[in-house]
Amino acid sequence: MLDLDQILKTFNPGTPNEVRALRGVSLRLERGSFLIIIGTNGSGKSTLLNAVAGTFLVDTGRITLAGQDITRWSEHQRARLVGRVFQNPFSGTAPTMSIAENLAMAALRGRPRGFGWALNARLKGEIRDRIRTLNMGLEDRVDNAIGSLSGGQRQALTLLMATWLKPELLLLDEHTAALDPKSADQVIRLTHEIIQKDRLTTLMVTHSMQQAVNLGDRIVMMHRGQVLHDLQGAERARVRPEDLLARFDQVRRREQLDPAVAELLQRSYV
Amino acid sequence: MSLLIGASTIGLILALLALGVYLSFRIFNFPDITVDGSLTFGASVTAILLVRHVPPVLATLAGFGAGFLAGALTGILHTKFKIHGLLSGILVMTALYSVNLHVMGKSNLPLLNEKTLATAAEHLAMRLRGGEQDVGILGWSVGLRDLSMLLGAVGLVGAVGGILYAFFCTDLGTAMRATGDNPQMIRALGVSVDFILILGLALSNGLVALAGSLLAQYQGFADVQMGIGMVVWGLASVIIGEALVGTQRFGFLITGAVMGSVLFRLLVAIALRWGLNPNDLKLITAVFVFVALVAPNLVRRLRSPVPKPNPA
Ligand SMILES: Nc1ncnc2c1ncn2[C@@H]1O[C@H](COP(=O)(O)OP(=O)(O)OP(=O)(O)O)[C@@H](O)[C@H]1O
Ligand SMILES: [Mg+2]
Repeated sequence: MLDLDQILKTFNPGTPNEVRALRGVSLRLERGSFLIIIGTNGSGKSTLLNAVAGTFLVDTGRITLAGQDITRWSEHQRARLVGRVFQNPFSGTAPTMSIAENLAMAALRGRPRGFGWALNARLKGEIRDRIRTLNMGLEDRVDNAIGSLSGGQRQALTLLMATWLKPELLLLDEHTAALDPKSADQVIRLTHEIIQKDRLTTLMVTHSMQQAVNLGDRIVMMHRGQVLHDLQGAERARVRPEDLLARFDQVRRREQLDPAVAELLQRSYV
Repeated sequence: MSLLIGASTIGLILALLALGVYLSFRIFNFPDITVDGSLTFGASVTAILLVRHVPPVLATLAGFGAGFLAGALTGILHTKFKIHGLLSGILVMTALYSVNLHVMGKSNLPLLNEKTLATAAEHLAMRLRGGEQDVGILGWSVGLRDLSMLLGAVGLVGAVGGILYAFFCTDLGTAMRATGDNPQMIRALGVSVDFILILGLALSNGLVALAGSLLAQYQGFADVQMGIGMVVWGLASVIIGEALVGTQRFGFLITGAVMGSVLFRLLVAIALRWGLNPNDLKLITAVFVFVALVAPNLVRRLRSPVPKPNPA
């Protein structure tokens, strides 16, 4: 379904700000699988999702999605296959436009846009019906500007927008991190429902070990632009939040050790 | 009275300029200076075609098309060649100055004996009124010529405003508004932000050029200098319009831009009548826009007191 082959991405190459954000990531995702990505800050999780979404082109490597080589596709071309929810609730919706207008745009994700009316009675009715399933009471406010809604409501709507047309791949980058616990729970429950119902192939980044364990069927831990652990099958089924935290500790300890070792070596050899 | 009618007519014609500026400055937040050149471009293309006896409707549409291309060029410079937005506009505007001179063959092209949309409106009114020269309105005697132009302008601007409104309600127009609102979001929904920006700037400058084309036909000449400072003029109209309607709904803002343009032109006419030196007009307009841009922030800052550092 999704096939990442040796992805490399370096930001600001050849400058003092050079960051090797992805150092040869290879991943293969089956249709309908739900992959959770965890990892320390700056380990390249968002960069990986951006590489798949086409925010930038990768330096080397190949990205195949739904049987098509999309490595050189631009972001808006990939949108035909990819639905996306960002971490920032402000990123996924057009604030001065109404709820109905935002959803009407999402109903054409990746399709040509011409001179047909963006909103008609039928579409508006459908929008109301789908929004009713959110149980947020927003179905009576479809003409209000989205900017007047709370972050949780906006994220729920963004999720609805990203999946209005069933995407080949759904990308979720810490989409509940900016929400209060109650809204986060609500959005996670909705995420679970939608992914289950449509059997969506999903990549989700999270910082919550609880989410990582409760959702999804596979966990990948990233570190320094590489895949460090890949938990699947029986191993994934056994894993508890404490185990994941232990792996983080391991990484941290090795991290602390490394500079000390390096210093030791330097002292004895120079 | 004829002063007010004349001012209103010019205000309506320049309302198309205001709509163009609304599109670039407000929808896209793109400071598009191309306007100064494309207004003249519309005027010069229409004028030379009229001199060559092309039917006025076609000549006017050609004026629109000329501005459309100029705007598209600015958009391409910005998106495909990654040139700063302001500079892209300046480049095209500067180039257009020479282009306009070439199109007209000289710096000023009179249209006194040509058939134009203005003479067409006059003829139509003449036929309807059976040859009378003056019309009585509220006890005033108004020249038929002036009145026909005003009504013609009302009809045209109403139609263009309506079309623009309708366009903003289509799938493409909605995507255009969203591009200004949140480019990241509309890109994630599969829209090429570059394409929409190019199209939007083309449309914007098409409207501006249409204003230039109509202005040339109304005043009876095209002049290579006529576009200078028009960006600021349009911006002033948009700002007045926003103050008048006081909402963010685009339907109201379109109406507001038209009203703002007419009101602004009327104020200018009255000020000139009271003895304002015409040479100071652009200075005053610039100062007005400056104040209108700065005042809201200033008021906000004065209202909310500076937060005091926490006493530890
Ligand atoms: N556009 C960019 N330009 C330069 N550097 C970047 C860019 N995007 C990411 N980076 C760098 O790449 C590295 C990986 O960043 P990334 O955002 O992928 O981390 P992350 O795993 O998502 O972290 P977090 O958990 O904090 O979200 C970081 O060092 C970051 O500073
Ligand atoms: Mg991140």
